[in-house]
Amino acid sequence: MIRIATLAAAALLALTAVPAQAEDATVTLTFETGARTGKVMVALFNSEASYQSGQPVAAQAVDASGAVVAVFGDLPAGDYAVKAFHDVNGDGQMNTNPFGIPSEPYAFSNNAPANMGPANWSRARFTVSGDTAQTISIR
Amino acid sequence: MLASRRHFLMGAAALSAAVVTPETVRAMAAMQASADWAMATADLEGDIAPRAMRLARGRAPAGLEGALFRNGPAKFRRPGGSATHWFDGDGLMRAFRVRDGQATLEARFADTPKRRWESEIDAVVTPGFGTPGDDRARVGSPDDANAANTAIMMAGDEVWALWEAGSPLAMNASDLSTKGFVTLRDDLKGMPFQAHPRYDPDGTVWNIGLWGDRMVVWRLNADRSLHTAEIVALPRACYMHDFTATARHLVIVMQPWVFDHDTMPFAARFAWKPELGTQVMVIDKADLTRRRIFELPAFSYFHLGDAWEDASGTIRFDVAAGKDMTFAMEGARVLVEGRGTVPGEPSQLSLVTLHIDGRAEMTSSGVTAEFPRSDPRRAGLARRYTAHVAGERGGRPLPTGLAVHDWETGRSDGFDFGDGVIMEEAVWVPKPGRSGEIDAWLVAPAINLRRGVTELHAFDAARVSDGPTASWRADIALPAGFHGLWNG
Repeated sequence: MIRIATLAAAALLALTAVPAQAEDATVTLTFETGARTGKVMVALFNSEASYQSGQPVAAQAVDASGAVVAVFGDLPAGDYAVKAFHDVNGDGQMNTNPFGIPSEPYAFSNNAPANMGPANWSRARFTVSGDTAQTISIR
Repeated sequence: MLASRRHFLMGAAALSAAVVTPETVRAMAAMQASADWAMATADLEGDIAPRAMRLARGRAPAGLEGALFRNGPAKFRRPGGSATHWFDGDGLMRAFRVRDGQATLEARFADTPKRRWESEIDAVVTPGFGTPGDDRARVGSPDDANAANTAIMMAGDEVWALWEAGSPLAMNASDLSTKGFVTLRDDLKGMPFQAHPRYDPDGTVWNIGLWGDRMVVWRLNADRSLHTAEIVALPRACYMHDFTATARHLVIVMQPWVFDHDTMPFAARFAWKPELGTQVMVIDKADLTRRRIFELPAFSYFHLGDAWEDASGTIRFDVAAGKDMTFAMEGARVLVEGRGTVPGEPSQLSLVTLHIDGRAEMTSSGVTAEFPRSDPRRAGLARRYTAHVAGERGGRPLPTGLAVHDWETGRSDGFDFGDGVIMEEAVWVPKPGRSGEIDAWLVAPAINLRRGVTELHAFDAARVSDGPTASWRADIALPAGFHGLWNG
């Protein structure tokens, strides 16, 4: 009925960080998880185009056993958005049920709600003009 | 003569168009007023604490002990937006408990993410079967849209509120408090689990969940743990609210309301194509890859009766069969509006026979019927009787009576309360110590429109036309529910 398999799971797995230009803004993302196993996979996007196509400017995999904090440094000022999922079973994938519905938790910056698909860029977008912090619930 | 009469009438019509008479004003006001049946889709503003029902008629049958759990939508309208379809209201779990001849009633809303969010913003915004929803919705998974409003399943000390496009919602049978969605296995989280599971004599539960031209076939153990979940390809992507089963086979009835385009609300995805006919797929429970297809003329349906097969392998089942999906698309929308004429013809109780040579046929009993139910002790086995609500007729929605159909004699034994009552689905409650199929009570609530209260009726299944053996009356009215189960 509701297809959200297009949640760009592949993009979330692109863990090779793109070299950042020398800037000084830092984005600190604290995740509130419902489980303490596996890793929270975080992908950072710097434009609507990159957000839609799933080409992150940076990504991190953060162990979920303790405080789950992703820090992205040296970011140029601008608009950003985050997609994240909690790889609860640590298999490196965003698991789905047989009909393609994610069976592991996922979330977006601003805690933007999904609505029959990933949260819109306009809802997930946040402006970075200096150090920025967010707490994202991912349950 | 005829011409001059018509001329006169036309003249009168032209006159009344020019001059608004008091009669016209009164007639227009009457059209705007809610229909008496609107109580069936009224909003309930909160949970109903347990309260006694008063014995209003007859005597409580000795041995009738247990609880009738029922589910159905009970909140449609909010200031910032409303559900526009009967199937999209918030699920309300009702418990009618009967003990020592006394009856009580209580009800609690299923505490779903949908209801929590919509309560917070005081607007119905979530897309559903017939409600479009809007961009305030929060739907990250099917269960975020789950109204938990359709039917129920018992699971130990839990009652599961069933919807059809998402997970069961577990509620405590003792106080109807919500525990949470049921995930039968981690990798099956959020898979559709429909509203009409079928039961084997050993307690095994079968159910399906649809996804386009595929379905999951659920098989649960008697303790409600998962046995298996298998994906089965369907010959067509169509809407099915129900399926049925014999002791050996699953029976999948594919009406020609087929997927047309991706949109919301959900019902708008389907197109009625009677030229495709209705297909029936019979699947071997022991090997889901063994399938046979039968072809029938087009009919629509929501509800099937339990199926059975004879020694030759001939399969029979009953169906409340309709002509098209007008009720689903339009009628259920008007029901929530609470006024006007509800489009769609009442369905008729019909019997489908699937012969071993591949032929299939359907015969109508001619009896108006919905919510067919039968003896739970005979689920999947040969049986003779079907209980169903009756009395619905074109122009006035919702049933007013109850009947038992005898497939052996073709006789219908019915009782009609008249237009002052909305009859709800009846369940079979076998009489203790008796094994005959008809040795049962039929227990069902009804809305007494004149008194504005919900009543609970117990009929003797062998003598429905005598009227209720006992009736208990609450001091409040609940909107009409959909489906229930007796837990004795």
